Amino acid sequence: MSAASGGPAAALEPRELDLRGVPCPLNWVRTRLTLESMPAGAQLVVRLDPGEPLESVPRSAREDGHEVALADECVRIVAR
Amino acid sequence: MTLSDSELIRYSRQLVMPEWSGAAQERLRSASAMVIGAGALGCPAATYLAAAGVGRIGVVDDDEIELSNLHRQPLHLTPDLGARKADNAAVKLAFLNPEVVVEPFPARLEEMNAEALLAGADVVVDCSDSFATRYLVNDTCCALGVPLVEAGVLGLSGLVMSIRPGESACYRCTFPTEPEAGSVPSCREAGVLGAIGGIVGSFQALEAIKLLTGVGEPLLDAILQLDGATSAPMVIATRRREDCPACGGSAEPSVGAAVEEAV
Repeated sequence: MSAASGGPAAALEPRELDLRGVPCPLNWVRTRLTLESMPAGAQLVVRLDPGEPLESVPRSAREDGHEVALADECVRIVAR
Repeated sequence: MTLSDSELIRYSRQLVMPEWSGAAQERLRSASAMVIGAGALGCPAATYLAAAGVGRIGVVDDDEIELSNLHRQPLHLTPDLGARKADNAAVKLAFLNPEVVVEPFPARLEEMNAEALLAGADVVVDCSDSFATRYLVNDTCCALGVPLVEAGVLGLSGLVMSIRPGESACYRCTFPTEPEAGSVPSCREAGVLGAIGGIVGSFQALEAIKLLTGVGEPLLDAILQLDGATSAPMVIATRRREDCPACGGSAEPSVGAAVEEAV
């Protein structure tokens, strides 16, 4: 990660969460608690297994009011 | 985030509820609840408080487990006959959730120990089986400013109410006249079906969790009455009394009975 942690650049840099191998609903629990600890507007990139995780976690994030974008096998979420 | 991996897994099905949050879970973990009575109401109430992750739970009961208790007190099993209810409840709750601390108080809640037992609690769940104890718990919680969940069951029906002293009607505001000792049948004298205790005690746990976390809306200034025979729930509005000797009453004078409709 960037050496500028704590500075304004760090705030813009997306946080990453690798949840491959973590089943539902625990992957959403971890995503949700991470989002809860982030300021509004901050970005979180979550890596998930294909199938149920990649279908379910983005949907849960949308239902919780976050902005969500899918790219390859990861999900980009903007904390609300 | 300070919740451990095992806590995340244990509580995952409540952590995913839209109404819930990591903050709500941490509020529960740092909370202390006192459960008065480990009987028909106390067993289910304490079970769900422990399972949900309330960090410290005190169980007050001086009774021993008798065969005639088992149909309605599901923490107490046949091999536990003769054990103290408070101790046995603490053992069973520790099996259920070793992440929380359960303290048994094998004592009878009385005027001389009520304040010492209830002070410092974030919520009191009154699962006692006598009117004298219920009024004492109410008055002590009002004096200490501790939120309280009151309940009672008899036969096939029960009632529940939550109380925030100084903000909402207390038990004495709602039922200002204490029944004379012996005038009302207790569970010992009148029958009760175990399942109604399970419902009402579980409801008490739900109310306590709402009071502790701020999730949902507690039953304040209201009594939920459940008639198990007809399955008819009824919410009855109540309000604070200006002249209530327990909670000091409100700025607005109350007229007539606090309970709008007879229970």
